Amino acid sequence: MHVKIRDIEFSSPLLTASGTYGYGHEVQDMVDVNQWGGIITKSVTRHPREGNPPPRIAETSAGMLNSIGLANLGVEKYIEEIIPFLNELQTKVIINIAGSGKQDYLETMEMLESANGKHVGYEINISCPNVKEGGIEFGVNCDMTEKLTQEMRKRTDKLLIMKLSPNVTRIEDIAQAAEAGGADAVSAINTVVGMAIDLKTRMPKLNTTFGGLSGPAIKPIAIANVHKVFNAVKIPIIGIGGIATAEDVIEFLLAGATMIQIGTMNYQNPNLGTQIKEELVTYYSQNGIENTEDLIGKVEYHSN
Amino acid sequence: MIFREMGKVIFNAEISEGIFKTDFIAPGISSNSKPGQFVNILPCSDWQQVMRRPMSIASQSNDEISIIYKAVGEGTRIMANWSIGEKVDLIGPLGNYWEGLESCFPIIIGGGVGIAPILNLHNLLLETQIDHTLIMGARHKGEHFFPHEPQKNIFLSTDDGSLGIKGNVVDALKSIYPNSNHPHNSKIFSCGPPMMMEGVRNYSLENQLECDFALETIMACGIGICQGCTVERKVTESNAHSYRNRFALACMDGPIFSGQEINSCM
Repeated sequence: MHVKIRDIEFSSPLLTASGTYGYGHEVQDMVDVNQWGGIITKSVTRHPREGNPPPRIAETSAGMLNSIGLANLGVEKYIEEIIPFLNELQTKVIINIAGSGKQDYLETMEMLESANGKHVGYEINISCPNVKEGGIEFGVNCDMTEKLTQEMRKRTDKLLIMKLSPNVTRIEDIAQAAEAGGADAVSAINTVVGMAIDLKTRMPKLNTTFGGLSGPAIKPIAIANVHKVFNAVKIPIIGIGGIATAEDVIEFLLAGATMIQIGTMNYQNPNLGTQIKEELVTYYSQNGIENTEDLIGKVEYHSN
Repeated sequence: MIFREMGKVIFNAEISEGIFKTDFIAPGISSNSKPGQFVNILPCSDWQQVMRRPMSIASQSNDEISIIYKAVGEGTRIMANWSIGEKVDLIGPLGNYWEGLESCFPIIIGGGVGIAPILNLHNLLLETQIDHTLIMGARHKGEHFFPHEPQKNIFLSTDDGSLGIKGNVVDALKSIYPNSNHPHNSKIFSCGPPMMMEGVRNYSLENQLECDFALETIMACGIGICQGCTVERKVTESNAHSYRNRFALACMDGPIFSGQEINSCM
């Protein structure tokens, strides 16, 4: 079940999606977080962020909308308070960085680079739909994606993963820009822009009107985007979007993902990572699969 | 310590109009929870509803916990139909709890969906022999499930006057508090519909009474991860934009907040 991205080996293809598992310590009483292939932490920004006003979340059919607004304690406190905990983990850690401008991203990364963290890489959030200056200006523009990736590449030898938005005309173009800029991998997809209205008040269910839709509702959108990206780039893809079962994981692998992230369903089941890992072992043995690589991109098209 | 337990349903019934009570066997949660805390419940593992439901604990003893809730939405309607013996996925105990009970004369006020943590507090105060006043509000007598007993400092109110004091809990409070021998260190502890709590909060602030409220918010994880269950607090210029000051989390910083620290219960 081991998978590699560049020279980094993960014990399984299962990662936590940023923002859905905190920093790993919140669930420690209930879960052995080291069962995950890796933990991707909640987005950290250069300065602390208070986030968006409530309401920030709403339940929708087979999913939820969120507009948290990248609330986080900022990179200085992150280094002081979170890195020491992360360094104790046995599993691999990837730090998710968000920013509101190029300088923000670069400074945050530089500070993390000199922080003596044991993290193996960075996932760069250029796709948050909920903050005006939350990096989405990068994520919808090939040129800006490539330049930001290049600048970040210069600053780290650790894994560099660009997280892509589905809210673009051609996700494969953005993925190619990230590849050209020197990214080791791309992750896809971030949340899908959505909106829900309360019929009693006639007000949007989220304070910010629009938010990001996640959960099983978006899985087919994610599978399609992963497959489009798979056909466009050579670097590995980390699939995300509504994964709830081992079958979902297999589907993402077949579509072209090398690894996957589990997000919204962690809220329902904080132990989902361990559970899916066990289910995958069973699936692999029942179906004679020896390596995860044997599944990646192995979707078979209709012949007509 | 937070537990995830498959709580076995041993009682589930409508105890008054539209209000349900469920008892679970859940030893870890039961022996570690305090009045005011909550559990985050997965009504069913169907993906149609992906979110757990936070529910205040109404009692905890002998490896059991109970919850009391109004069947109003899809989640609570599923809960009202749980059968005896069913195993339900529970995470808890979560959040903070009622505090500072010994140093005041508690006036505890509940209504509607907010009766669970108030009942739990009432029982704690009886157990620890702390004199207090209990006020419970409802729209009409069918929604109440215990008697109006002013001699025991238990006051019920109904909007239509069909039981106890006519009016809402603020009307009840106004009719009791100023005329009684409530000591100067009276403090209000309340949980109920947002409009009710805001009325209580305004009365408390006008009368310089300390007040704590158990707030209900929409919530997903219950353990500080999703950052969804925000409660807006008053802030000073200096801490205005720092993390979790202005926008506190009901699951970690609450669910109990002081009436002075928040802008509103609504």
